[in-house]
Amino acid sequence: MIQQPHELDVRPILRNGGEPFQAIMQAVSGLKPGQGLRLLATFRPEPLFRVMEGRGFTSKASEIDGGDWEVLFTPKAAAEPAVDVSTNAEMPQLWPDPETSLDLTDLDPPEPMVRILAATEQMEPGRVLFALLSREPLFLFPELTRRHHQWVGSFDDAGEAYRLLIRVGTKTENSDG
Amino acid sequence: MPGAALSRWTITYFAVALLFLFLGETMMVAGVGFPSAPLRAPETLMLVHIITIGWLTLLFLGALLQFVPVLVGRSLRAERLALPALLLIVIGLVCLEGGFAALAGVVSLHTHDLAVGAGALFLGILIAVTIIGLTLWQARPLTVPARFVAIGIGCLVATATLGGTFALELSGINENEIFSRLVLNGLPIHAVLGLGGWMSFTAIGVSYRLLMMFMLSPDSAARVSRAVLWIGAGALMLVAGGIAFIIAFAAPLNASLTIAGIFAIVVVGLYASDVVRIYRRRVRKTVELNSSASVGAYGALVASALLLTVLYFDHGDNAIAALIYAFVFGWLTGLGLAQLYKIIPFLTWLECYGPVLGKSATPRVQDLVREKDASVWFVIYYASVAAGTICILLAQANLFRSACLIQFLASIVIVAQYVRARRLADVAPALQLPAGTRRPNLFLSRSS
Repeated sequence: MIQQPHELDVRPILRNGGEPFQAIMQAVSGLKPGQGLRLLATFRPEPLFRVMEGRGFTSKASEIDGGDWEVLFTPKAAAEPAVDVSTNAEMPQLWPDPETSLDLTDLDPPEPMVRILAATEQMEPGRVLFALLSREPLFLFPELTRRHHQWVGSFDDAGEAYRLLIRVGTKTENSDG
Repeated sequence: MPGAALSRWTITYFAVALLFLFLGETMMVAGVGFPSAPLRAPETLMLVHIITIGWLTLLFLGALLQFVPVLVGRSLRAERLALPALLLIVIGLVCLEGGFAALAGVVSLHTHDLAVGAGALFLGILIAVTIIGLTLWQARPLTVPARFVAIGIGCLVATATLGGTFALELSGINENEIFSRLVLNGLPIHAVLGLGGWMSFTAIGVSYRLLMMFMLSPDSAARVSRAVLWIGAGALMLVAGGIAFIIAFAAPLNASLTIAGIFAIVVVGLYASDVVRIYRRRVRKTVELNSSASVGAYGALVASALLLTVLYFDHGDNAIAALIYAFVFGWLTGLGLAQLYKIIPFLTWLECYGPVLGKSATPRVQDLVREKDASVWFVIYYASVAAGTICILLAQANLFRSACLIQFLASIVIVAQYVRARRLADVAPALQLPAGTRRPNLFLSRSS
């Protein structure tokens, strides 16, 4: 899934003699899975490159008008298995811990889809469900979106189980607006 | 966003395709085409194109509209073009049939219909290929099953292009030296790219993924499926290369067809061994009817490989026709009917009950069908195809028509099961239509 990189301009902070490191790190931790960061600074921020590499980002710096620098930090895709995110998912890293967990790895499709939808119907809006499946439930995704639930999913490192987090849609999101 | 939604037009493609299957089988029972007429007679061409375009190509395109998104985990692109593609293909096919009938002198139509039909067909196929191609394109690098499909649709375009040049030449609209060289020598290439490249490659690719999904088998033997892919692609390149040879030298490149034939036998052997492995290593204990009924199709594929070796020693029309008949009705049609037995109930279930899952009690997918009623008819179907193949080999035209009658009856009973599934006829009345659901249409899915 291709996302626009988050843009952060630290030139005002630098011109005022401030220290932008904290603002940058705050922006980094707010990135969605797979999202990059576009940073604008008054100099080439060499030390930051190593810090970001440690966090799994590659950097590409280029000089722009007025001697300023633009750096694009892109998450390394190959290192981590791809994460699927519903278009309506907002800040999955801020979701509460799952209140329900389902291990559906032994069930034949489409039974996992049936169980998950049955469980979400019983849950309060805003609550989170965790499910473990043997395959990515491709036909479930559109149905979750139709019911205004948000979801994030990925295969585990061995590629044998699919992990799915679902946040049940709230009442306001439910009113087809 | 990842995910696979219900394809709006797939059921329509299937319904139209099944009508063409019935039409083709009626023609065979009535004695239209080989062996009652010569192999290259316009009557045989009418029959062959009703089956290969009307039935198989529409079946495969309909299936791809639904399953390419599953293969690549992305939603279908340009879905609104699916209906125009279907209409153009059907109109083109009807015109093409009119042109063949004119060639046969059956009707006093103009042979120009051939060119008009081929033009509409080509455009319709190009549109359908665009939908599938765009959907595949967004998922590069492609997985092995998706690569099979990519090569398959490439062969479809090549087959349609070659067929288009035949139509222009035969209709008398555009006669030139290159086209007449192709008409004289290119027929085997047109047939091999269509049946082997387009249909078989696509069927192999989709079946790899479907078999593993339905039986929960591990997808680890990637080496074998890769070998099937590359050796098969090599064989198809050899065959397609023959087109350039014909244009340049006005003679068929028989050696390339022979080598491609050897490759094809290796591919069938590898694929069959891989299928056996998938069935053996399945996690799901019970084999559902769609998977068990597919075994007959794999048997027919292996039998076709044997008939291909017969063809090396006997170039006679009966050997060629027996191979094509066993391949088209045993392998491609058998696999198609068997997989539809799962696909139609599943799509119907998803369309009807998907929106209310978890909100009310719903039937399971397997509650939409009665496997016991259908399984015996798959046995009868394959037995009739085996008998028909033997009749062709022994040049028994009337016995062949009897075998076709049994094949036709078996097809009708199997298709009646699809209709029952679509009408929810076998679902317990209490579960049939929970609040918020509507009975599905026979020919059209409701987009939700």
